[in-house]
Amino acid sequence: MKKFGIGCGAVVIILIVILVIAGFAIGGSYNRIVKLDQNVNEKWAQVQNVYQRRADLIPNLVSTVSGAANFEKSTLIAVTQARASVGQVKLDPNKAPTDAAQLQQFQQAQGQLSNALSRLLVVSEQYPELKANQNFLSLQAQLEGTENRISVERGNFNEAVKEYNTVVRSFPTVFFAGMLGFSPRPFFNAQPDADKAPKVNFDFNQAPASPAPATTP
Amino acid sequence: MKSIALLVASLVAFASPNLRAAETIPPKPAGYFNDYAGVVSKEAALRFNEQLAQFERETSNQVVVAVFRKMESASSVEDYSQRVAQAWGVGKKEISKGNGVVMLVFVDDRKISIQTGYGLEGALPDAIAFDIRTQHINPHFHSGDYEGGLAEGIDLICKAIRGEYKGDGKTNQERSSRKGGGGNILFLVIFVAIILLSMRSSRRRRGYGYSSLGGPFIGGWSGGSGGGWSSGGSSGGGFSGFSGGGGSFGGGGSSGSW
Repeated sequence: MKKFGIGCGAVVIILIVILVIAGFAIGGSYNRIVKLDQNVNEKWAQVQNVYQRRADLIPNLVSTVSGAANFEKSTLIAVTQARASVGQVKLDPNKAPTDAAQLQQFQQAQGQLSNALSRLLVVSEQYPELKANQNFLSLQAQLEGTENRISVERGNFNEAVKEYNTVVRSFPTVFFAGMLGFSPRPFFNAQPDADKAPKVNFDFNQAPASPAPATTP
Repeated sequence: MKSIALLVASLVAFASPNLRAAETIPPKPAGYFNDYAGVVSKEAALRFNEQLAQFERETSNQVVVAVFRKMESASSVEDYSQRVAQAWGVGKKEISKGNGVVMLVFVDDRKISIQTGYGLEGALPDAIAFDIRTQHINPHFHSGDYEGGLAEGIDLICKAIRGEYKGDGKTNQERSSRKGGGGNILFLVIFVAIILLSMRSSRRRRGYGYSSLGGPFIGGWSGGSGGGWSSGGSSGGGFSGFSGGGGSFGGGGSSGSW
C-alpha cells in the first residue's frame, strides 16, 4: 500500500469528501425540484379556480337567456349538458395532473363547454331584447373576463410546467428524479379548431334549427 | 423616440418565438397618464397625471393610463393588454399580488382595454369595468371627445377602487428616491465630520487658512449631493413620475371597441 504514495486512510477521506459534495449537490437539486413542483401545483390550483368561476356563471346565464322569448332551446340544452359533463371530470385541485390522458380528458370537457358557450353568445346576437337586458350584458362581460383569465392562468401553468420539466429532464437530475417520484408533467395544448368560429345556422323559418356541428377536439 | 421603438421592435422580433414575432410591448411609461397619440391637451394630461399620482399617495393603488395610435400586435386587445400591464408591473406585488389598474386606448384601432390587477378584482369586477367602458367612456369616444371620456373613466375607476387599500402619502417613485436622499445626507455629514476633525488635529495656528480650503470643498460636495437628491425625486415643474411595484395581472377587466 505504501508504494502508492498515499495511504488507505487518505483514499477513504477523499471518497467521503466526494460523497459529501455529491450529497449537497443532490440535496440542492432536490430542493429546487420540490420548489418548482410546488409552483406547478399552485398554478394548477389557479387554473381550477378560473374554470370554476366560469362554471358558476352558467346557471345565471341560462336562466337569463331562457327568459328571452322563443330562444333556441337546443343551444341552451347544449350549454347545460356541457356544464354537467365538466362537473363529472374531477381532477384534484391541489395537485397538478401527472397523467397526460387525464389532462386531455379535462381539457376536452372544458373545450366542449367553451364551444357551447360561444355558440350561445353568437345566437344571442339575434335577440335584441337580450342585448338590451342589463343582466345579460353584465353576464356577457363577466364571461369574457373569465375566458381571458382562463387563457392567462393556462399560460402561467404551462410556463411553470416548462420550468419544472426542464429541470427534471436535465442531466444529472434525470437519474434520480424518477426514483424520488418526480416525473415530467403534461401541458395544456391548443385545441385543434380552436381558432375557428362556431358555425351557426340562422334559418329561423324552419322549426327548431338543428344544432351546429360541434367543433369538439 | 421612434428609432428606439424601432430598435426595440426589431430586437423583440428576433428574440421572441414566431407566435409573437409581430408584437411589440411598449416600454414602461414615464408617468401615470401617457398620451402617445396626442389626443388630449397638455394641461389635461398634466392634470390627469397629477390626479393619478395623488391617488397613489392616498390609496397605494397604481392606475396607469396610456393612449396609443395603434396596437402593435396581431393578437386580441385583451390578450395584448394583459401582457403589457404585466410587463409594466403596475401595482405593488406585496399587496395581494398587485393592486394596479391599466387602461390602454388604441385610437386608430378604436379599442380600449381596462386591465385589473389581482388585488383589485374584488373592487373593480369585470361587470363594473364593462359598465365604465361601455356606458361612460364609449359615448364620449364616439363623438371624438377623448378628453371627456378619459376624465370620466379615470374618475370612475378611482371611485370604484378607493377604500380597498390605504396609502402612506408617497408614490412608489418618491419612496425609493427618498432612500437615496437620506443616504446622501449621511455621506455629507460624515464628510464634514472628517474635514472638521482633520482641521482640528493639525496646525491650529493656521485655522482660518484651513477653513477657507475646506469651505469651497464642502460647498461643492453639498451642491453635488443635494443636486443628486433632488434629481432622484420628482423633477421640478410638478410632474410626478411613475415607478411600477411589480404587480401582476390575471386577465380581469373589460376590453372592446367603440
